[in-house]
Amino acid sequence: MLETRGLRVVGDRVLVDGVDLTVAAGETVGLVGESGSGKSLTARALVGLLPRGLRAEGSVEVGGTQVVGASERLLRGVRGRRISLLMQDPFTMLNPLSTAGAHIAETLPGRTSRQEIARRLAEVGIDDPAVAGRHPFQLSGGMRQRVALAAALAGDPELLIADEPTTALDATTQHEILALLRRVQEARGMGVLLITHDLRVAFAVCDRVAVMYAGRVVEQGPGAELAAAPAHPYTSGLLGALPSVERAMERLVGIPGSVPRADEVAGVCAFATRCDLVAAACTEARPPLRPIGRDRLTACVHDAAGTARPPLAETASLTVPTAGPADGEPLLHVEGLRKRYGAHTALGGVSLHVNPGETVGLVGESGSGKTTLARSVLGLVTPDGGRIRLAGLDITDRAALDPRERARVHRLVQCVFQDPSTSLNPAMTVGAALAEASARAAPGDRIGVAELLELVGLPAAYAARRPKALSGGQRQRVAIARALAVRPALLICDEPVASLDVSVQAHVLELLRGIGRDLGTGMLFITHDLAVVRQIAARTVVLLKGAVVEEGTTSTVLDAPAHDYTRRLVSAVR
Amino acid sequence: MPGTVRLGGRARRLRRSRPGPVTLLSGGILALMAAAALFGTWVAPYDPAAQDLALGATMPSWAHWAGTDELGRDVLSRCLAGARSALLWPLVVALGTCAMSTSLGLLAGYRRGWIDAVMMRVVDLLIAMPGLLMLIVLVGVLGGGIGWAVLAMAVLFTPGDIRVVRSLTMAQRELAYAEAARTLGLSRTRIMFRHLLPNIAPTVVAGALLSFVAALVALSGLSFLGIGLPAGTPDWGLMIEENRGLLDLNPWAAVVPAALVTIAATAATLLGDQLFERLSDA
Repeated sequence: MLETRGLRVVGDRVLVDGVDLTVAAGETVGLVGESGSGKSLTARALVGLLPRGLRAEGSVEVGGTQVVGASERLLRGVRGRRISLLMQDPFTMLNPLSTAGAHIAETLPGRTSRQEIARRLAEVGIDDPAVAGRHPFQLSGGMRQRVALAAALAGDPELLIADEPTTALDATTQHEILALLRRVQEARGMGVLLITHDLRVAFAVCDRVAVMYAGRVVEQGPGAELAAAPAHPYTSGLLGALPSVERAMERLVGIPGSVPRADEVAGVCAFATRCDLVAAACTEARPPLRPIGRDRLTACVHDAAGTARPPLAETASLTVPTAGPADGEPLLHVEGLRKRYGAHTALGGVSLHVNPGETVGLVGESGSGKTTLARSVLGLVTPDGGRIRLAGLDITDRAALDPRERARVHRLVQCVFQDPSTSLNPAMTVGAALAEASARAAPGDRIGVAELLELVGLPAAYAARRPKALSGGQRQRVAIARALAVRPALLICDEPVASLDVSVQAHVLELLRGIGRDLGTGMLFITHDLAVVRQIAARTVVLLKGAVVEEGTTSTVLDAPAHDYTRRLVSAVR
Repeated sequence: MPGTVRLGGRARRLRRSRPGPVTLLSGGILALMAAAALFGTWVAPYDPAAQDLALGATMPSWAHWAGTDELGRDVLSRCLAGARSALLWPLVVALGTCAMSTSLGLLAGYRRGWIDAVMMRVVDLLIAMPGLLMLIVLVGVLGGGIGWAVLAMAVLFTPGDIRVVRSLTMAQRELAYAEAARTLGLSRTRIMFRHLLPNIAPTVVAGALLSFVAALVALSGLSFLGIGLPAGTPDWGLMIEENRGLLDLNPWAAVVPAALVTIAATAATLLGDQLFERLSDA
């Protein structure tokens, strides 16, 4: 039904270089890749919606109609009716001025009736017909994604392209939406092309998965087979970097180096520079996608590439996160912390503690109050009630401290923030930012810029760079170095790897683990990702709507959850 | 990131390429005018104040390229010499406005609370006043010196810019790098001027150039109304006023300075636009 041959997306350089894909009716195909792999551009090329300045080459046929080079008029007939696009962000993809019903009615063929809209809403699991009259801001993220799905399905398309449909959603909602997608696809017998960066999602949901790298497909095959025995070193590298929910891994292995630009590797194997198995044949010509067995394709010249990097290595050792001394006074002691924003209760009496040198995971969905808690400890927010003690000092109200105490607190607790694109000042070089931070350390304790960079595994020459010249993972390393410059006893990590690609995430997690181990820094590690918590935290605290619902060692919380909510969280990722 | 917005061709070209023709042209024009402001009196073929009453107003000739005015003064020489006061005072206004609005806007946007509340009410009050009318009345009442005109103008231009700087500061202070700076315990002044200011600089620079343009035009207008500079000073605005009666004898005596004001204002506006795009892209 969908067939692309040699699809290229070209701007002032080549961005997508030769994608061959087919999606049959009733089939779910996954397109997996890290940022910059070209998967989103591929999706847009399929519906003729490329950003200005880019054009598609090659052939894209949707049910026999050629899309590449087609007129806008012809494309309008194809979009919505034959091929429909479901986008990532449920917060911006609906028009805030239109009701849910209006979004659906817009693409419904023929006369629209209230019953028909109610029926369409019921199809995506919204049984309350009153939702049709609501505006997007009155709906939750998951509801919006459902409405968007109903709108995308309104024209009864033969093929649905879902571009990261669950990335912006919480774990439990994510699970529901994916199940819904699967159900609708089966009921309608339509084809689905699911674009995602999440290998687990792709393998769980898709009949076939295509792995994209540097603008091309490097491997293709049934999800389960790919997960069990990857045939391309890149796929096995990705799988090796994936943290496991089930057990703590001895070592998280990322892929060295970074993704090259598609035009730089046009004539060779795109992965050659990062591959352990590189041979002369890899750089002589571009290895074509060749069939290996049933339904399997690989662009690797080697036959047994998958064995090079064993996926999910047999590292069942659970000793990795070591608990600090449980006796004596905890490093951080939070007691009955409360904070309200207007009518919304962000924190309703939260208590927890972090021992010296211990890593505590703080798990919760968006709106659970985990970030408010972090900001209270950092002194960026003043809580309404409760107490925060840090190394024997009451820091509940920072303004009440005298300057000497305040200077001490700044050296005790530091933070690594989520978004690598804003965590560094774009106007300052890496060196200047680190020097500034290191000047805040106690006089005898200062660490030089070069040493700080070495600590986080970056070359000293990076001091002269500006954040813009760094990748996301590198920026996050610099942010970690900046936080460590004052030698804090407590490091608060607010979703530090949530915005990073899998291979980079493994590097950063490994780095943070090493810091906890070698420097004895206590950490409060905030995340929504249970697999990440499993790898890093000795103890885990689960937060729901501003209250602690469960607390215990990580293995207890994840393997034998006591609270209903934790059980739902755990089952959503399994 | 999935779904990353790629830079369009235009933004990309701007960053990579050397300055475009518009930037070069407007920058060149302003540079020439600045040179005239600095060295105009030396380059001028005649003493801009030298009168030749016997000659009177004449049309352009080889001796006087832009003709002469009623008192037989060379229009070209007066235009060259006039660049100094025509450009200097707007520059003073622009710099003063920029310094005041940037520091007050940063303070209000970063500190918030009562400082912000008080400052914003004053700003509201100033913005509610009819600007040019106030200027004329103020300068008229205060005795009409150029110093007062410049001061009054700076006070009138500042509030709008404060608002812009304040709102940008409020957006920047929420970003992770600013919170990291607070977590490090850096001083407020350091965070405001070392961290936040460089990131709003493109708008500040563009705003300063716009103030320059507004002051250039407004001061020419005041001169035209006879407020500001003393009569007889070589100045573009004043020349338009003094020579507007000569439209039949030598129209160039009024047209040339008027054109200069227009060209300078246009060039500064365009340059501000281009600078903004380049800086915010860098």
